[in-house]
Amino acid sequence: MADTMGHSATATRNTSVALGFCLLALAPQIFELIWSIGTIFGWGAGRGPATVLISHTTALVAGAPAALLGAIGGETKKASSDVLLALIYSYPLFAVAIVTLFMTIKSGQDYIGGVILMALALFALWASSDLQGMRGFSFGAGTAPRMFGGLLVALSAAIALTGLLNEGPALAHYSWRGPLFVMCAILFFALAIRPLGLVVSAFVSFMVAALGSHETRWGEAALVGACLTIGCALLFPYVLGLPMPMFPRFLAQ
Amino acid sequence: MELFANLAHGFVVAFSPINLLMCLIGALVGTLVGVLPGIGTIATVAMLLPITFGLPPVGALIMLAGIYYGAQYGGSTTSILVNIPGEATSVVTAIDGHAMAKQGRAGPALAIAAIGSFFAGCVATVLIAVLGAPLTKLALAFGPAEYFSLMVLGLIFAVVLAKGSVLKAIAMIVFGLLLSMVGSDIETGASRMAFNIPELADGLGFATVAMGVFGFAEIIRNLDAGAEMNRDLVQQKITGLMPTRKDLIDSAPAILRGTALGSILGILPGGGAVIASFAAYTLEKKLARNPSRFGRGAIEGVAAPESANNAAAQTSFIPLLTLGIPPNAVMALMVGAMTIHGIVPGPQVMQKQPDLVWGMIASMWIGNLMLIIINLPLVGIWVRLLRVPYRLMFPSIVIFCAIGIYSVNNAPVDVILAGVFGLVGYWLIKHDFEPAPLLLGMVLGPLMEENLRRALLISRGDWSVFVTRPLSAVLLAIAAFLLVLTLLPMLRTKRDEVFTESEN
Repeated sequence: MADTMGHSATATRNTSVALGFCLLALAPQIFELIWSIGTIFGWGAGRGPATVLISHTTALVAGAPAALLGAIGGETKKASSDVLLALIYSYPLFAVAIVTLFMTIKSGQDYIGGVILMALALFALWASSDLQGMRGFSFGAGTAPRMFGGLLVALSAAIALTGLLNEGPALAHYSWRGPLFVMCAILFFALAIRPLGLVVSAFVSFMVAALGSHETRWGEAALVGACLTIGCALLFPYVLGLPMPMFPRFLAQ
Repeated sequence: MELFANLAHGFVVAFSPINLLMCLIGALVGTLVGVLPGIGTIATVAMLLPITFGLPPVGALIMLAGIYYGAQYGGSTTSILVNIPGEATSVVTAIDGHAMAKQGRAGPALAIAAIGSFFAGCVATVLIAVLGAPLTKLALAFGPAEYFSLMVLGLIFAVVLAKGSVLKAIAMIVFGLLLSMVGSDIETGASRMAFNIPELADGLGFATVAMGVFGFAEIIRNLDAGAEMNRDLVQQKITGLMPTRKDLIDSAPAILRGTALGSILGILPGGGAVIASFAAYTLEKKLARNPSRFGRGAIEGVAAPESANNAAAQTSFIPLLTLGIPPNAVMALMVGAMTIHGIVPGPQVMQKQPDLVWGMIASMWIGNLMLIIINLPLVGIWVRLLRVPYRLMFPSIVIFCAIGIYSVNNAPVDVILAGVFGLVGYWLIKHDFEPAPLLLGMVLGPLMEENLRRALLISRGDWSVFVTRPLSAVLLAIAAFLLVLTLLPMLRTKRDEVFTESEN
């Protein structure tokens, strides 16, 4: 009984790992889609969400297989960057995800770490795919990135393989609270420093970051935050001579 | 005699009031941040990098060097008093140092650590001065092919001396090399992997990545542990700093051996100070007449690793100053700092900027003297600092880092990038990838690519140039030999043995 239960537990975990890899395989496309929503409101330049959705879907479903078949047929046609993304990045990761379903992962730490690193390397290969290669015996702009990208794909595959073959530690526990609030604080600071100035953004970011620990006592945190803000407001512009906006723009005017 | 003239010149530069002040501030601030648990040397240097930007280059580098050995000193203080090694180099110091502190001998332990460090620092300073000039001459004989092979050797050393899986360390180096490619290509000016983000056109900022991977990532990781951080603080007042005559006699040979071992390991590119302290501790334990004393407060167990790590920390400046190649992550940060001040590290620096090089070398000696004089009386303050709860400290560090990164280029995007690299660093920690080789790869990346391209251009595309030029061939052969050696199972267990020392 216990044995079968253990077996089904690893099976469900493998499915979720495979699903995670599928999500990873589509991550750049999803990111561009979310980013493109901003264009509706007129922020930034780029393709609208509808265009992004359609072009990526066609690239994934039709364009890439067609290009693949074309390549086998000896046909050399310049593929669009969406098709290349599907070919270089998404398809290999889908393949890894499918393989994952049938494997016993002996060390989650190595296997998942290796696959994510491989995803990064594949993404770099795609990002440098539009650059010029070797020109005669001299390096083009894209030669070195592709060389190191290819090397990293091989190395990360080897790491993932050791995760399948050797016993090792399982996937470590990720917590969400610390990373989330620290990142929020950093993001808020980056967005607020120009319009709101150092004093406001430093203090608010301090309080946001303080949310990252459940031990925080608010009175104490506010006091330390205020002192730190005053200290930084004196240290950076005056002592170190690094100019930066102090107060919100609408107050300064 | 040129040597003494150079050193004398250095002392003139370093003794100018402004540089003395920089040295003092650097050493104090470095100790202060180094004492705070959870922030290692690399994070300290990365965090404090921006505050040196407004200074003249000589002052800035003197201050950074001060921060570096100050942080190391701070790290050993916490490992003796609280059993929390402030950084990897003082992990082994914690074993016997904390045992001594529990027996009420914290004072002598701290004093011996300081004296050992000071002695090692003196020897290393002279060594830098002696080896500097001949190595610079050797460096001038180097062509692009030799430089490329030397960097390969350096990276392989970093792999061999790193802790943990060899495969993962190599992967991290290549990942770092790949990250260094982001931005404009040096030769063609083509934008590489920049995704039309104008802030990426100049490449990923070195300080940004270091701050993210070492600063933010460490904070997030420490938050995981939460309140469970074991603070086994030595409560009783520290009395009697002076070691007894017996302590001094016991530790003198250990200091000598530690210094010698550390100096050699520091010059080798790669692990530097970390491996030096582990190796020195292992050596002392092997040589001791009664090894069972180790782990129960043997003063040699404090003296040897502390002198070894300080010697290694300083001799690791030799490859940086003479060849322009950073042997470890902290030196990689120094390269970043030099570049920001418009100085290209390499053989030319010694000739073109004698003020900078010799001033910095002399300031190291002065800095070590300052540490020994100032810090011993200040131990009480450092201990009080350790009682500051982490829940107040971490938001402060986050904000301080954020302001620091913003001030480098006045670019909000840099702050966001550092945040992203914080998450990357957290992911690296969770999967047991070492971030230090990544940083080394990132700094060496542009240099390696440039020299590789140049070498192949000169040889008209012939890859055999790396093995037909004798110097280059020798360097590559050593690299290959080392890599094979590390992969041999027998030596691998030996290598793991050195690192597992701290766990028993």
